[in-house]
Amino acid sequence: MIWIETIVNGILVGGLYGLLGVGLALIVGVMRVVNVSHGEFMVLSAFMGVSLAGTMPWLHPAALLVPILVIFFGLGYALQAVLINRIITRPDPFAAILLTFGLAVVMRNLMLEGFGADPRTLTAGTLAQASVPILGLAIGVLPLLVLGVSVVLFVALQLVLTRTRLGRIVRATADNRDVARLMGVNPAHVYNIVMGLSLALASVAGLLLAIRSSFTAYTGVERLLIAFEVVVLGGLGSFWGAMLGGILLGVVQLVGLKFDPNAGPLYAHLLFFVGVLLRPNGLFGARA
Amino acid sequence: MTLLEVRALDAFYGDFQALFGLTLDVRVGETVALVGANGAGKTTFLKCLVGLIGTKRGEIRFSGDEIGRKPAEHIAQLGLSLVPEGRLLFPSLTVEENLLMGALNRRPGSWTLETVYDLFPILRERRRLSPNALSGGQQHMVAIGRALMANPKLLLCDEISLGLAPLVIEQIYRSFARVRADGASIVLVEQDVKRATAAADRVYCLLKGRVTLEGGARELGLDELSRAYFGT
Repeated sequence: MIWIETIVNGILVGGLYGLLGVGLALIVGVMRVVNVSHGEFMVLSAFMGVSLAGTMPWLHPAALLVPILVIFFGLGYALQAVLINRIITRPDPFAAILLTFGLAVVMRNLMLEGFGADPRTLTAGTLAQASVPILGLAIGVLPLLVLGVSVVLFVALQLVLTRTRLGRIVRATADNRDVARLMGVNPAHVYNIVMGLSLALASVAGLLLAIRSSFTAYTGVERLLIAFEVVVLGGLGSFWGAMLGGILLGVVQLVGLKFDPNAGPLYAHLLFFVGVLLRPNGLFGARA
Repeated sequence: MTLLEVRALDAFYGDFQALFGLTLDVRVGETVALVGANGAGKTTFLKCLVGLIGTKRGEIRFSGDEIGRKPAEHIAQLGLSLVPEGRLLFPSLTVEENLLMGALNRRPGSWTLETVYDLFPILRERRRLSPNALSGGQQHMVAIGRALMANPKLLLCDEISLGLAPLVIEQIYRSFARVRADGASIVLVEQDVKRATAAADRVYCLLKGRVTLEGGARELGLDELSRAYFGT
């Protein structure tokens, strides 16, 4: 019984991992850019959440989601417009990696300066302890809500990409930037919006993850690692793959911890290792 | 009325010069054929017109405006549409979505999704498919339809008969009658000299980045064209 509960909890946290990865998958798919500071933005969002919750204790933490999402969309737009668009036309793929790596280092240290070195968590109050009995299992209300948010955002992203004019433009620009320009598309503007979406998704993931586990200014690296593994495991360019990859990682992580409480994230990383060995292009990538 | 005036156009890929002092005119409502062997500079020329070649010298005037310094996304809004060599459809989009991309900066005109489907009925059947599921000829239809959706003043076609069955090429060339009827000008870049000159009013021949021959399509003899084409 306890195993089923663990697996279910793994799925719930896996949905969150998927959300972490989807933001990264988006920019890798559209711009072929790896944002090494993706994790730092997640941590920044958590710090912002803690600060906002501190100054407005009467506000339910859930109410923070939408304003943070909007703020980070703006940050992503600005990041792309001011920094990344300058180097994106270069053929060298390392330019973006180096730039965002530098940005990550700067952000880490600024956050350390600004928020201090103590580990923090975002408290969800009584919601954190509540659980509902489903099919004889005690499933936490909070993890369910978190999965719910992840799924909603994920589906919303898919809908935007497949059903809207903007989504069409984004997919076309990802396919062939020059031909998209021939249709009147300004690629820089498209990239700004996509980066905004990416960081908006990261910010929500960061906020929700901060409820589950504590964080410091240095936690970004861990977060990036999960996002990266989710994207690669799922298959570059596949969003459903990222979600599935996240769920697999989540399940293996929690089951592994039940066996071996001191393992930390070892089993999730082992799964990634084995997964990439067996399917180098990921679950939904092309067969190698 | 001259729609397109090109004067002394030089174009470069890095240090390599691809076009040398190209001078060319296209009048309103005219169909101009640009013929030449592989590597003569035909595609480079088209890319210059639409703004995809950065390093160039000379003048390109479209409807009186100098467009040589403008980025591709601005030129798209002025009424130039390109059917690229190799079609270059968006594989992540359906046929219909590809056509809709062409309409992003549409000018007022008679080309809509419906009229494009009337022109190429097979596309209406296949509108929700990925372009990869279509035959070569059908993909060409999508590429042409996509360019038409903008209601261009000038339609640029790069090697649209390449790799297609003669019957399909017939169908595609017949569609140009509709385009001409709307008053649009067409530039046809082809290696197939016979077909291009049959469809055009005037012909330019390119060799190694230079214009080697210019004249009315009915007036130029085969010998003359051969010499200009091969440089013998």
